[in-house]
Amino acid sequence: MYKIRTFLKILSFLLIIPVTSASAADVTARELIESCWDYMRGRASESVVDMTIHRPEWERTMTIKAWTRGRSDSLFFIEAPPKDKGNATLKKGTDMWTYNPKVNRVIKLPPSMMSQSWMGSDFSNNDLAKSDSIIQDYDHIIESTHTRQGKTVYVIKSMPGPAAPVVWGMQRITLREDFVLLEQTFYDEDLQPVKKMTTRDIAPLGGKLFPRVWKMFKTDTPDAYTLLEYRSLTFTNDLPDRLFTRSSLKNPPR
Amino acid sequence: MSIHVKMAWRNIWRNPRRTVLTVSAIAFACLVLIFMLSFQFGSYETMINAAVKIQTGHFKIQHRQFQENHNIRKTIAHPDAVAGILDKTPGIEAYTFRSRAFSIVSSEDRTYGALVIGIDPDKESRTSTLPDLIREGEYLSQTDTDKALIGRLLARNLKVKTGDEVTLLGQGRDGSVAAAVVTIKGIYSSGQDDFDRAGLHIPLAYFQQVYTMSGQVHSVVAIVQSLDRVTEIKQQVQARLQKLETGNSLIVRDWSEIMPGLKQAISMDLVSGLIFWLLLIIVVAFSILNTFLMAIFERTREFGVMMAIGTAPSRLMKILLTESMFMTGVGMGAGIVLGIFVTLYFQTRGIDIGGAGELLNQYGITGRIYPKLSVLSTAIGPAMVFVITFLAALYPAVKVRRLNPVEAMYFA
Repeated sequence: MYKIRTFLKILSFLLIIPVTSASAADVTARELIESCWDYMRGRASESVVDMTIHRPEWERTMTIKAWTRGRSDSLFFIEAPPKDKGNATLKKGTDMWTYNPKVNRVIKLPPSMMSQSWMGSDFSNNDLAKSDSIIQDYDHIIESTHTRQGKTVYVIKSMPGPAAPVVWGMQRITLREDFVLLEQTFYDEDLQPVKKMTTRDIAPLGGKLFPRVWKMFKTDTPDAYTLLEYRSLTFTNDLPDRLFTRSSLKNPPR
Repeated sequence: MSIHVKMAWRNIWRNPRRTVLTVSAIAFACLVLIFMLSFQFGSYETMINAAVKIQTGHFKIQHRQFQENHNIRKTIAHPDAVAGILDKTPGIEAYTFRSRAFSIVSSEDRTYGALVIGIDPDKESRTSTLPDLIREGEYLSQTDTDKALIGRLLARNLKVKTGDEVTLLGQGRDGSVAAAVVTIKGIYSSGQDDFDRAGLHIPLAYFQQVYTMSGQVHSVVAIVQSLDRVTEIKQQVQARLQKLETGNSLIVRDWSEIMPGLKQAISMDLVSGLIFWLLLIIVVAFSILNTFLMAIFERTREFGVMMAIGTAPSRLMKILLTESMFMTGVGMGAGIVLGIFVTLYFQTRGIDIGGAGELLNQYGITGRIYPKLSVLSTAIGPAMVFVITFLAALYPAVKVRRLNPVEAMYFA
């Protein structure tokens, strides 16, 4: 009797596990994205990044110090080159402010400027301001999975909801089972690829596996791109509220 | 002088009133046709010149790729070399350099994206009408630095007046952050809403400093002496630019390529003008035919007598045709002279079109239209009149051949 019970238990396990894992996959298209975003961002972080804007005939690198908190707040400071030092950007929700030390003014970016490039890079202001749009405004489907270096890789297709205020017609996101983001491709309304972001050099950084190099480029001009290379990255539990205010744009915290 | 020419000349002056009426009908037709066409051509030239003098110039030199995507890096690397070419090209009235960058323009409480345009105040005033468009404040002077001219609608959007400060925030040519605070010196209004909403003009040297242009510019805008020579001069300049080191990257475009809408508006207007003109010609044709026919009917008896005493119908026809050619010749001569005088008068005085309103305002035309006399506008009308009078004269002349002398003599 006992044996039969055990057998049934094992049988039910064998039957249930595939069922539950299948249903788990259904839920996780969204969960994967949310977990991925939360993983990449942490609760709060402090980092120093070299941003290289590469063009076929020209290249420029700036060093940016960045603080982020949760899904919506971030603060960026340009540290180098000296000519641009002190320029800063604050993002709260979908609003952005920019500060320039030469004119000593804080300017809120108007909606008409949101599609313009941020600091001359291949990132637009919207890429920063609406980075959470993927979680709020899109529906996600796992398109395919494969295995790379012993880890499962998910390719997720994200379509915007019918009334969502979005910039893109579709996004395709590739991420690893440990929530490391590998690729993000942005498509227009005709579902033609416009921009693509890829990551590489995944290594321990700030206490977890994190891609050290990010690359953003327009898909039709792959020889013009922007590279983000992390010099340092620290994750913390929290950062003070006063950091993400307009007054800290003028006085960079040390 | 052969006998029928002599007879024709005498016939004409046998009834001076009839002749004068016919001749003046022809003359008037020529005059109206010449003036109409000159006016139409003139108004196009006025339109085009007014429109190009606000912004585009008769032609514009830019980097091939700047024209496509307005990338700040796609500049004219050696403006002086281009200036050298333009100086040596005959027929160019003036030219100026400009630079532009899309930037954030921010006032005390408003922020907009707008075009910041660097202009050379002196050269600009010779090339465009910008100084005349200043409605408030003053135009830039050559020594100004952090001063700006702003479009009326942008000023209204930003809620700024002359003397107020605005902040410019954009990106320099080297990728650095370009920022400046400028004081509004003047507010312009061109009547073209797009232009008045789009931007802000600052001195070129200051622009080059703020946007790290290192002496380079984005476009050269030129005005030529006469509109008819635009294409020819443009090709010359294009050919000479090729010889420059960086010449291959430069492209020259004329006003019709820059403003295809204006060209289309003109073609549309030309078609409606032509229809009106053709109607006028039909009216003229019938009136001339009528005058000639009446003249023949009045003289049926005379023709009968002439035929009865042995005048061959072919000679009669020759005489009639010669008569009509005499009248046409005199009428056309008088008409062309009068037409030229009337057109020239208005060409120097201009015609006030103050009430023409918004349609023309869109293209920056305010005030006066000047007809433009040309060989074409002088020749086409009279040529049409000539063909018409010849055909109109042919009909009665042929009719005369079939006249029966006896019946004709009894014609009352």
